Amino acid sequence: MTVQLRGTIEADGPLDHLRTLIRALPVPTAPLTFPSREAALGLALMDLSFRLDHLPRLSEHLTLVDRGHMSRSISVDVDLDQISGRQRETLLVPGDGERRASLWVPVSRYSRSDLAPMVIRDEGGELVPRLSHRDANRVTAAAFVKLLFMLVNAHEDVSAPGSDIHRVRHTHQKSRWLIEAAIAELVMVGAPLGRRLHTPLDHAALVEQAHPVRDLALNALDSLFPADGGDPLLVPFARLLELATRQYILVAQLGLDRPRRFLTWDAPLLPARHRPAPLRNLAKNVLPVNREFVVEYATEIPRSVKAYHLTLEVRQEISVRRFLMSSDVDDEFVEVLAQDLESVARRAERLGGHHKLLELEMQSIASRLAELGRRRLVDLTGYEAYLARLPIPVGPGSSPPPRRLTADETLAALSAGDCSLHVLAAFCAHYSSDGLRHLAKSGLPGEALLNIAAGLRTTQTGRDLTIDNDPREHGAHAHWRRPPTELSPQSTEPVRVAAVMALADEAPALIESITRMVAGLGLVVLGIGTFLSGGLAWLFSARVNPHFAPDQADAVVAVLLLVPGLLLARLDLPSTRSVLWALQKYQRMLAAASVVVTTALAIAVGTVRDSHDLTRMFQLALGALIGILVCCLSELYARRAHRSSSVPRSARVPQWLLSSRGSSRRTVEPDDFFDARGEG
Amino acid sequence: MTASSTKSSELARIAAEAAGTRTFSVQFTLTHGTATGYDGTQPMAYVTSGDDDKDDPNSWPTDFCHFSAAGLSMSTSTWPSAMSAFSGRVRIGRVEGNGRRGSFSFGGHSVPNPGFLNHSTRKVEVLITMGTAHWSPTYRETLMQALLIEKLTNLAGERGVPVLHLHTPVAPVAQTGRSDPGDGSNERLRDAIGPCMRFSIGIDPARSETRLDFETELAALSEEYGFGLRLDDQRLNRVRGEWFTIRGFDRERYRQTRTQLFPDAPMSTPKRALIVSVVGPSRTGTTAAAVATLRARGIGVLAASISSMRKTTFINLVVPVADHAPSTLPPWSGGWLEALPRITDAAGFVAAPTGFAADLAAGFAADLEAESAARSADESPIADWMAAVSPAMRCSFPPSSRQTGAATTGRVPYPIWLWWQLPHRTVDTPALLAEVQAALRPHTRRCEVAYAQSRLCRGDVVRGRAKIIVMLSQEHRDHAAVQRLLADAAETAQERIRERLPAICRVDPSRIRLRLSPRERWLPYAEISG
Repeated sequence: MTVQLRGTIEADGPLDHLRTLIRALPVPTAPLTFPSREAALGLALMDLSFRLDHLPRLSEHLTLVDRGHMSRSISVDVDLDQISGRQRETLLVPGDGERRASLWVPVSRYSRSDLAPMVIRDEGGELVPRLSHRDANRVTAAAFVKLLFMLVNAHEDVSAPGSDIHRVRHTHQKSRWLIEAAIAELVMVGAPLGRRLHTPLDHAALVEQAHPVRDLALNALDSLFPADGGDPLLVPFARLLELATRQYILVAQLGLDRPRRFLTWDAPLLPARHRPAPLRNLAKNVLPVNREFVVEYATEIPRSVKAYHLTLEVRQEISVRRFLMSSDVDDEFVEVLAQDLESVARRAERLGGHHKLLELEMQSIASRLAELGRRRLVDLTGYEAYLARLPIPVGPGSSPPPRRLTADETLAALSAGDCSLHVLAAFCAHYSSDGLRHLAKSGLPGEALLNIAAGLRTTQTGRDLTIDNDPREHGAHAHWRRPPTELSPQSTEPVRVAAVMALADEAPALIESITRMVAGLGLVVLGIGTFLSGGLAWLFSARVNPHFAPDQADAVVAVLLLVPGLLLARLDLPSTRSVLWALQKYQRMLAAASVVVTTALAIAVGTVRDSHDLTRMFQLALGALIGILVCCLSELYARRAHRSSSVPRSARVPQWLLSSRGSSRRTVEPDDFFDARGEG
Repeated sequence: MTASSTKSSELARIAAEAAGTRTFSVQFTLTHGTATGYDGTQPMAYVTSGDDDKDDPNSWPTDFCHFSAAGLSMSTSTWPSAMSAFSGRVRIGRVEGNGRRGSFSFGGHSVPNPGFLNHSTRKVEVLITMGTAHWSPTYRETLMQALLIEKLTNLAGERGVPVLHLHTPVAPVAQTGRSDPGDGSNERLRDAIGPCMRFSIGIDPARSETRLDFETELAALSEEYGFGLRLDDQRLNRVRGEWFTIRGFDRERYRQTRTQLFPDAPMSTPKRALIVSVVGPSRTGTTAAAVATLRARGIGVLAASISSMRKTTFINLVVPVADHAPSTLPPWSGGWLEALPRITDAAGFVAAPTGFAADLAAGFAADLEAESAARSADESPIADWMAAVSPAMRCSFPPSSRQTGAATTGRVPYPIWLWWQLPHRTVDTPALLAEVQAALRPHTRRCEVAYAQSRLCRGDVVRGRAKIIVMLSQEHRDHAAVQRLLADAAETAQERIRERLPAICRVDPSRIRLRLSPRERWLPYAEISG
């Protein structure tokens, strides 16, 4: 799902692309006329596609195709009853005798860089008609032209003769047509992210001269969207335009006879955005660390969606060791709370003159802090339950039960900026039991509030946690539900979701087979050596049996070549592009090394006639095999360490979880990062 | 720069609504009249868009607002209109013959202001107490009230913060005692109306410093003028109707200030009043401008109802008419600047600060004069707005309140609160309110809709709130008995309305949400998302 509203506006200015085009496009000599119905349709599609209120449930099914690519299948429940009657009139595709009446319904937004075609099917497998990109762009352009006209009409200066707004509306319409043409061009062609538009002006050395039509268009734009004075329109309009130029709306035509529908489609294949540094990769591949393959996935979902399912499927040979999902659903709430804290801290002295006002602010802050503590504690409890039901239990990695805090201790800890879950939970308990009635008189107002604001941001308390509930080892599923009480009720900001998956080669794993193989080869070498020397003395004595070199070397050579070959043949080697290949790379190296050792020994047996040299060869081979066996055991030990690590060391795991589980180690980069937010 | 998308999607929503297939402007009707809801089945005047064809989707108003005080009522309905070509941003005209005696209707169109983004704002609601006696304001008090409206809304306006609504008079809130369990079951019964004002502003949550500044200035004003100040309880899980007292009402300070500022204003109660409605596209600072202009002409405000619907603001002011004013001028509508001399003539000059009081009030008086001069010119934010003025009508005041009269007679008007959510185009708000009045009739001797507001919300549902003033059939002086009677009446009426609605408007019973309660804070339904 690529519902992307949040992002960055270029530093050059929010409407920089539009201004560039106003300077570059030929001045139109006639208005760009769109049918009013198209403008209304475009605005309705834009409105609905940003909120997606009519999608109560959203599911994404991820399949890791290979290293670097992930396929996604998206399914949505559509409730047409959520679309208001007035919007339906706009979206209506009238029916006739044979054709049913239907609606154009936006079901997703996705980046313009995703060019693969999308085929939407309904619950019966029938193909659902879609609005073409060209048509969607045309109605979007019509929508912007209409919106601009409405803003001009509602502007204070529209009836002030001589003002720029009055001129573009009534007397100098060419300038308005130019703005409209620039908007249409921008929407139809699109604009790159974070780069200036490349126009013919970049190639020509033009003489600087005034151009009244273009100058008036630019001045009118400035009057309409003044950059200074806290104009509330500039950023919203610029954001809308930016999204329209970077994303497509996926619009399906749905019959009105069935208001509840289930749609599914395959999203374009998602390439990995990030690769770890080569040195780090090399270290993972050549050291006995029993590497995990960590995949991170980021997406955005509409805030209005009630349930979101994320499922992951990998090859059966791979196990999903950890899977957790975190969303920033409460981030905006925490940010507003932090800003409130900072504002009160800066005004504590002034507010102190109105004691009850300060008390109201403090109580408001306290109630929100308590709610945050309660919510995150519920998340942590769910995570503990997840760890407890893992097939391979996690070792005693969790922190010891914390000491219970008194109200004063809680306030003292908070004042010092300690917003750990333990402190927030204690605060919640004291607040709920009416133990914090007079906060204005406590030591909190002032510097302590700044510490709390910083602590809240550091611990990322606005991020929730959803954990895996799939019983299969090679699959995972997380079910996110909208919180019962929306803490930012007016917000339509999409919720950012990040999932962290640690993939591993669990039992029966390759390393176990290879350990057994290496041990077996060691025993074979030991057995042959013992048989040839007539005892175990060759292992530790400097004396060499003069008859150590066999008269018939062929049999020994055959054993040393055949046994490892047979053992190696039983190991299933994966494709070099697969995740399994990456997971087993080091282990396969150990297996190959053991075979190299025995093959070299076989060559030695076939060519060396001197008993002394051959004994040393056997000793060397056995030593090498023991070394390889130690590496195998190190791998097993490292696997155990990984298993006992309760929290993945990822930057996308909320800090409050890391600290409450006592994990203070630094985070590591994932092996693959997939970003479906359409920011490209 | 990180940009929030909430305002972008709000802009898209407003534009989409404004640019619907057949919607280019906002059509509205305004009705001024006498409050006839005590015994009538039709509680308030209601003018449709021209025909009564309920199959036509455009005949259903999307927003409705009604306010009644001092025996006068004002109602507003709005709906999207296909009208696109008219000069200016608002036009208004008289609608003849709405079929009701004593009421005057005006119709018009307005170009909504899509740039007025206030849905994503954090609402701060304020309750101002200007007295503890029962509501019967004198000329002097109306001037003081106008001054406070101007000062308070100016606090918001100068910070670029919109006033979302303003009503006066409203129900006062009794001080809760320490023994209050917190659920409202034990709280004292509220008076139906009192000398109080309730208004709300919308502030961007990211501008917490602006909010704190506003609240601090508000508290300072409260201290200066002596009025009581309560803010809505901003703690989580607190609902509308729960207040946090910042300052109690300082009777002496308030009386002194009022006397010093308006020493020459008569201390008599107005016998007549007229309704002035000022209409235009929503902007900040408009209420303060309108009230300041009137006050500069010595005209006070008896009652006020200000609301914004479909990005169009309706400032309804009930202004007292001087005893010596001409007996009757016909209803009138036109531009705001042209309306001013007419309002002045109709209301008569009441009072202006003079002598010692003028010296005391020099600060704001000078400001006012300068402001008045400026506002008369084109710079005023409402210079291009339109106004509708009713003829002077006889006004009346409630006979008693609990605090003043219940102990002896028991015949006291009590408020009952109503909240509802119904599918759009099933039942219009006036019809629903008539049903509510009919359902309450067996329990009451008088029943009047003091305030009602409904609007079309997401999901194609109409959501509304109302305050009904009832006088119970049975007279009781005992608090518990009255409370029990009120609760029973509300519960019975609620069930009766739920049974009646599916029969009269073919609405699916499972989609009816309606709550009638003598406690405002008991209205909300659980907002648990599924």
